[in-house]
Amino acid sequence: MTISAEPSATLSHLYRADGSATFSQNGYTVIGAVNGPIEVQRRDELPEEAAVDVIVRPAAGVGGTRERHLESILQSTIRQIILIHNFPRTLIQITLQITSTPENDSASSKLVQASSNLPILPTLLQTTVLTLLSASIPLAMTLASISFAINSTGSSRKIIRNPTLEEFQAANSVHVLAFTSNGQLLVAESEGSFTLEVWDEVYEIGKDFCCDVTEPAGDDIMQQDGLDGNTGGMAFVRSTLEHKVSADLHWKD
Amino acid sequence: MPRETAPSLNEKLFFQKALEENLRIDGRAFDQFRALELEFGDEYGVADVRLGKTRIHTHISAQVTAPLPEKPFDGLFTLTTELSPMASPAFEVSRPTPTELLLSRLLEKTIRRSQALDTESLCLLAGQKVWAVRADVHVLSHDGNLVDAASIAVIAALQHFRRPDVSVEGESVVVFGLEEREPVPLSMLHFPLCVTFSFYDLGGGAGEEEGEMRVLIDATSSEEMLRDGGCTVGMNRHGEVCQIAKLGGVPVDAVVLLNCIAVAGQKVREISDFVKGRLESDRKKRDKGGWMEELRAENDRVS
Amino acid sequence: MAVSMERFVLPGESLDAEYLPSHPTLPLKLGPGLRHIPPNTITPTVAGQLCSDKRKNAVWVEFNGGRYIPTVGDLVIATINRPSPEFYYASLSDYAPQATLPNLSFEGASRKTRPQLQPGALVYARVSLANKHMDPELECVSSSTGKSDGLGPLNGGMLFTISLGMARRLMLPRPAEQGRVVVLDEFGAAGVSFEIAVGRNGKLWVDSTSLKTTLAIGKAIQETDLKGLNPEEQKKLARKSMKDF
Repeated sequence: MTISAEPSATLSHLYRADGSATFSQNGYTVIGAVNGPIEVQRRDELPEEAAVDVIVRPAAGVGGTRERHLESILQSTIRQIILIHNFPRTLIQITLQITSTPENDSASSKLVQASSNLPILPTLLQTTVLTLLSASIPLAMTLASISFAINSTGSSRKIIRNPTLEEFQAANSVHVLAFTSNGQLLVAESEGSFTLEVWDEVYEIGKDFCCDVTEPAGDDIMQQDGLDGNTGGMAFVRSTLEHKVSADLHWKD
Repeated sequence: MPRETAPSLNEKLFFQKALEENLRIDGRAFDQFRALELEFGDEYGVADVRLGKTRIHTHISAQVTAPLPEKPFDGLFTLTTELSPMASPAFEVSRPTPTELLLSRLLEKTIRRSQALDTESLCLLAGQKVWAVRADVHVLSHDGNLVDAASIAVIAALQHFRRPDVSVEGESVVVFGLEEREPVPLSMLHFPLCVTFSFYDLGGGAGEEEGEMRVLIDATSSEEMLRDGGCTVGMNRHGEVCQIAKLGGVPVDAVVLLNCIAVAGQKVREISDFVKGRLESDRKKRDKGGWMEELRAENDRVS
Repeated sequence: MAVSMERFVLPGESLDAEYLPSHPTLPLKLGPGLRHIPPNTITPTVAGQLCSDKRKNAVWVEFNGGRYIPTVGDLVIATINRPSPEFYYASLSDYAPQATLPNLSFEGASRKTRPQLQPGALVYARVSLANKHMDPELECVSSSTGKSDGLGPLNGGMLFTISLGMARRLMLPRPAEQGRVVVLDEFGAAGVSFEIAVGRNGKLWVDSTSLKTTLAIGKAIQETDLKGLNPEEQKKLARKSMKDF
């Protein structure tokens, strides 16, 4: 089973949902669906803005604390990019179903419990953005996310972009960053031990990667060891949506 | 509670007239299932079923645990069917709706209570260690007939799943990883599937006259909303009926029910053959890959 | 019609002035999919293709959206849910807040003679009020002339769901030419008589002489929508379904 490092996405394939997307990267596959703006329960109603609700469902089992944690990160991020003030007293409901994860021993997902929430976070963020774009929910900006694993041996540092699960677990510190199309940082989650310099370096690389819309030239990628030739996160979102829009609007001259 | 719009009067009337003319809105025959597609994931025990626009994703997993004290020789098998707003905004995560309760109950009776999965074969050390197999049913898209699609998904996934091989020596149990020993399929005694029938009373009354009751198989969600009654038959390809559930609805003649069971038997055989064919082609696909995997395992050991 | 399609846009992108039309006298009109951040920024809010009309000095983003958002002036097909002393409550889309339709908003209606609509009835109405703070309101009569202009209850026939993009195509002044929907013309040319009403909220109402023709027309439009059929394929589809009757 080869785990492809290249991301892939399918859009608007679920019938009942207003928008949907399936996104896979690095062995994680997540199906996202969004409904909204729809009627909201009285108790959740907000007078000036739309309520945003995120639900994360794991592949096996029912959700637990880990899913709640991911939901809270996603909810606080997403409500900053949706134009929630356009739809007061309504609800925008996002459901994310994890369908596959690259756990190394699939005897059971509990035997080898990934100790960290972070590996799947970039995939969840990316799926959410694609889902919102497929539903044409008005957004203030788009988002791209990336994860890093840092291996510090003595004075040298190895920074791995979009690490696999093994690289994640073997690293000294792991970081997940998400940038908007304007270059603002919305999500910064880190685990492990690292210095502020390391974080600054990670920030710079992440920003270049996520916000770079043009295709990177071949030479620029070979800066550090262990980097794949991934296209920028934002470029991927753009090309996927461009395909969808041209298919939708085929009837126009 | 978010409401789904009930079908309009125009749709109701049109639907009734169509039934009287033996027409169905999507052009199918009354006893025809929608296009059925079944795909397996890369992992063992992951099945994706599409029945028209209804889409269900099932995930099987297994874990070693202690058995129930009153059943020391049996393994555990749990089936969860939590519906999420992905299927339809009418569903909330923590609040089970009648649809969800019905779905889980019908699946329980058909698959679990009928011992489709041989729980005794899941026992490792009597009274101490058994396998707990868990089937999670995720409904991705709800366009009617969740029960039939879910039963196909669960049965197909159970047959597809491979649990790790074990060796039991005295009091100790050793579980081998997937790279160490080839994983083992689950032991299944029979393969029950559900077929749901929807009743429509055109007589506007007791429905006793011949030809006034129309029976449809595999209703879409709009057909489900317009139906007067429904009956789910769970049976296997040998004609053994596991359960029949007709929960309220318009009274139906006994002959009609017997007819339904006969039709269900035929449909179950067809679908069982289809599932078998898909499992076979998946196995062949993996065999080719299996050879390559062995090569890769050697490389890993070298580095 | 000086409509030009320029480029693909994503939400939040900055638009250079060269992509926006300019006109000596008319102010710039912003259509769906764009928002204005004072003083000078115009940015898209959805992913789509930026289109502009130089003559009307209007610019908008063309996209096939998910859910209908009520906008004033749109013609929609609403389903009556329940009556109340002052107005009917009707729904425009599933799970969305309900819209209200005043009891007297029909042609020639007075307290004594007004249409009694049952729950589940369909009406062809215009959105008269829609803003983010209030539930939408509908009308079945033009407030200025008092005439119905084809609005009002829809009897018989069958309702089909279509995407918002398809609804827009069908409501263009010349659907066959601008929207590339030729399947209706094919049916008409073959002598099938039918009546349709298109709601901007993604609903299509079809009524024809027989059930089969109604179904065939509705399903032909749905298939054109789902599979993105071009005019040639639409003609083939129409011919195939007409073989049945």
